[in-house]
This record gives sequence, structure tokens and C-alpha cells, in this order.
Amino acid sequence: MKHSETERPWKNWELQKAISPKTLLLLLLVVVLLTFSAKNTEMDKAAIETGGIALHFLGIKDSKVVNGAMNFVAEAFPFQIEDRVEIDRIDNFDPNNLPVFSRVEVVIESEYDTLTDTTEQVETRYLTHSFGYVIKAGKKMIETIEMGFWGTFISILISLPLGILASKNYTPNRFVYNVIRMQLSLHRALPEIIVALFLVLMYGFGPIPGVLALAIHTSGVLAKFFADEIENSDPGPQGALRSTGASRIKVLRIAVFPQVFPAFVAYVQYIFERNIRTATVLGIVGAGGIGMELKGRWDLFDYSHVSTVLLMIFLTVIALEGISQKIRSRTM
Amino acid sequence: MIRFNQVSRIYPDGTRAADSITLQIRKGEICVLLGPSGAGKSTLMGMLNGMVTPTEGTVVFEGETITRHNVKKMQQRVSMVHQQLHLVSRMSVINNVISGKLAKTPLWQTLIQAFSETDKRRACELIDEVSLEERHLYRPVSTLSGGQQQRVAIARAFMGEPEVVLADEPVAALDPNVSRSVLNNLKKASRNHNATVLCSLHQVEYAMEFADRIIALRKGKLVFDGTPSEMTDDILDQVYKGSAPNARPPVHTASPVASVALAGGYN
Repeated sequence: MKHSETERPWKNWELQKAISPKTLLLLLLVVVLLTFSAKNTEMDKAAIETGGIALHFLGIKDSKVVNGAMNFVAEAFPFQIEDRVEIDRIDNFDPNNLPVFSRVEVVIESEYDTLTDTTEQVETRYLTHSFGYVIKAGKKMIETIEMGFWGTFISILISLPLGILASKNYTPNRFVYNVIRMQLSLHRALPEIIVALFLVLMYGFGPIPGVLALAIHTSGVLAKFFADEIENSDPGPQGALRSTGASRIKVLRIAVFPQVFPAFVAYVQYIFERNIRTATVLGIVGAGGIGMELKGRWDLFDYSHVSTVLLMIFLTVIALEGISQKIRSRTM
Repeated sequence: MIRFNQVSRIYPDGTRAADSITLQIRKGEICVLLGPSGAGKSTLMGMLNGMVTPTEGTVVFEGETITRHNVKKMQQRVSMVHQQLHLVSRMSVINNVISGKLAKTPLWQTLIQAFSETDKRRACELIDEVSLEERHLYRPVSTLSGGQQQRVAIARAFMGEPEVVLADEPVAALDPNVSRSVLNNLKKASRNHNATVLCSLHQVEYAMEFADRIIALRKGKLVFDGTPSEMTDDILDQVYKGSAPNARPPVHTASPVASVALAGGYN
């Protein structure tokens, strides 16, 4: 033990205080800021209305929140399964040769005529398909999955070269590295839904803007990940092959790709899953997929159709999760 | 023939990793470099494949001085076996071996990993030579044992038909039995392909069995250069003196006759 003259006996050692005036002041400042922010975002109202849910169920006070939910639930069930088309609108309708699972339905509706101020009974004949709406929504769901697939595929095509250019050890020079890294940040910074909004202006409604929006956003994520993996891959084998005089591109292929590949596949899988989930939302701005159907039905207050669509999205996401879990456990 | 002419490697902080070393190594010779850590073994080997540039002196390889301009060409004539293997662990044994001649394979073959039949056959020959079997061919290297992996590394080192093979403590991470057989594989392969071997080792007893010639270094200086039979305990003490107590490997006690016979058996 060394004892210098400046050393004090342990009884006089300086101890730190758990709470200092500085922390108190900071705490006060935080509280003030949070109060302002909470007022801005109506957090007080949120607390009151959420608390109102409990009061509603206790029968003390009617809650706006519960009523809103009930409005939807009352309309949402049963799920819409059938789909019907007015027979008058079908060309060459042959009543003796109906498609499978179809039947003719006659609905009598009273129609009000403003000219004569009378109500008339109008008979409308419909061709009703027993699973028509499920099939229609299913087709839209498949389109959504396809959008997710193509978005992922294009994003891989973009991210492979950009990822290599954005890795410190395989970029041609510092300038390219910085430019590509910046470009990738830009890709990631643009939310899909906003990109899709613009692309709908350019390409029109349909799946094209959706696919491209997914590709742009996720290529930024994939390429950055790929670049980071290349940078972090074991330098040993690379150095060993470099020292035999092999070119950088060959070393990249032989010593880096096999190391990076499994992680890349896992990430692509995650991105694919995520893209399908995002594709369901993109339809809301008109970028194709089941979201377009959802938004259309929502605006028409067809809540029973909405609930069918939601159920379909829910089941697909669950199934996807299960499948990719299974694939992951097999490849890892 | 490799000639080191008064080579030194002095780092900016004044460390002398190699201090005016002069050496001649004949073709096909198996030289073991001995010495404690930091003696300059790796530095000396690194000068041959351009990993280390001498600050003074020259290295002449088959009549050609190694310079910054011809180092790429030289690298293709020298290959290396590393202590940490540096194999691509997820790649198959055969592709790892073929990667030893990556500098000479066409780019498109490399990109789709479709190597030529000749390359594949040669890889098989080498894999057989280091006592691995057909069933190992397409297994990822990571599924092999340490000794088997080091054999793959040796096979890879001979794939590019090198004139010199550098082995940097190739058996440091292996147990004694495996070490011996790996060193024998290395020796056999170098005899078959008439390659010069420069191998650094920590175990003096292996050096005695394995080397045609022992070169001992201490603090960058050449301390001993001769056949295993000329090595004595006094010289070893001199090489390892002042090192941490357990850095001094067990002094060779096995009969020197055996090692001479072994070395002689090949000459």
C-alpha cells in the first residue's frame, strides 16, 4: 500500500450524493417540458377517455370510445362471405347454366320516386356467389403477397451492388463510399407510404407504385446491413487469399460471401415478411393490394367486408410468421 | 534459392523485428524457425510474401529481388499456412483447397464457384495427400476437427503449385499427436511438390524431428543456423533465456539419432 501525503483517512473520503441539486433541477425541467408536450398531444384527454371505458362498463357513464368501437362491431359481423352482382349488368346471362356455388336471388326493394311522390316495389335479380367475396379478397391478398415478393426481389438486386460499394473494405474509394452511404440513408429515411403517394402520382393506381416504394425503402435497409456484414466478416481468410495475389473481387466472392450469406438470407426473409405486412397498408394510398379493397370498403361503411379483409390479413400474417419461423430453424 | 541479404525491419518506435539477417535457403529445404514470441520469425517469413517490407537489405528469390513492383507476382509463387487457419469456414473442403490458386482461376469460374475439372482433380489429389477422405470433400470446413482443418489449410497452400510454403506456427493450436501427423503431412507434401518450407514452431522437439535445418532467432538477431543434430541445450538456453518461465519449451531429449535418420531418410 502506498500512502502519499495527500491521501486522507477513509473516514474523510469524499462520497458522491445520489441526488444532487443538479439532478433535481434537471428533473424539474423534464417535468415542465413533458407537461407542455402532453397538453399538445392531448394526453390528458386520452387519459380521461380511456378511463371512461371502465366507467362505461361499470354502467356509470356512457363512453364515446366504447360507442365508436361498438358501431363497428355491430356492423362487422357476420363476416361478408357472399358476393352478388345485378343480373342486368351481366352480358349473355344464361339462367340455366349458372356458375358453381352460384344462385339467383330476387330482392324486392321499395324505391321512392320524387316526381310522383310514390313508393314503388322494384324487383332486382342478383347472381349471388356463395364464396364470392372471400375469393375476391383472397385474390387481393395474393396480389399483396406478390407485391411483397417483388418489392423484396428488386430490393435485393439494388442492395447487392450498393452494399459492396458501401462497405469500407471493398469500396473503390472514400468518395463513392460516402455518396452511397448517404443514398442508402435517404432510402431508409423515406417512409414507404409517402414514397407510394408520390409514385401513385407518377405511375397511377395499382401495384406498381407499391412494389417500387417497398423496393426503395427496404433496399436502404438491406444494403446497409449487407455492407456492415461485409465489414465485420472475419478478415483472416480474406488476408490469406489476398496474400496469394488474388484480386479483390475474387476474395469478396470466395472469402466474404460464404461468411455473410446465411445472415443475409435471414435478413431477406425478415424483409420479405415485413414487406407483405407493409404492402397491406400501402393500398390505402392507392398503391395496390388488399389495402385498396380495405380502404374502399371502409369509406363505404361496409364494415362486414372490412372485417373479412382484416381477418384475411391477420391469418396471412400469422401463417407467414409460422412458415418463416420454420424455414429459419431449418437454415440456421 | 532464397537469399536474405542483411535484411532488417525497424519499426518507427525503434523495435528491431529483424536485425541484419543474412541467410541462404536452398530449394526444397525444410527450415524451422525457432525463437520466443517477438523474436522475428513471422517478420522474416512475411518478407517473402510481401506482408513485411524490409527497411534495410534485400530479399532475393530465385535471382529476383522482391520489390514493391513484383510483389504480386511473387505472392503467386509463395503460399502460407496460418496458425489461425484462415479457412472460409462455411465453404466446402474442396472449394477451400481450390481457393489456394484463386489468383490463377478465371473470374467467371470464381463468381459462380464452378471450378474446372482439372482444378477439382488436383484438389482431390492434395486432399488425399494430407490423409483426408472422399467423404470430407463437400463438408463445410467448420464441421471438421482442428487437425483436419489444418490439413485442409496445408492442401490449400500447395494448390497454387508454390515454390515456397510459409507456415506460421501451424500446430500451435493442436494436441501433440495431431501436431505430429500434421507436420508429417506438410513434410510429405513439400517433398512431393519440391517446395521449400519455412515453418515457425514453438515446440523444439517437433523442430528436431521435422526440420532439415533449424534457424533460431532472438530479438530479431540470428542466433543459430544449422541441422537439428548440431542443436544443443546451451544454444536453446541462449535462444529462450529471459523469456517467461514456461515459454521455454522442453529441451529436446529424444535420441538425436532418430531425427537425423528421419531427416536423412529423405535426402
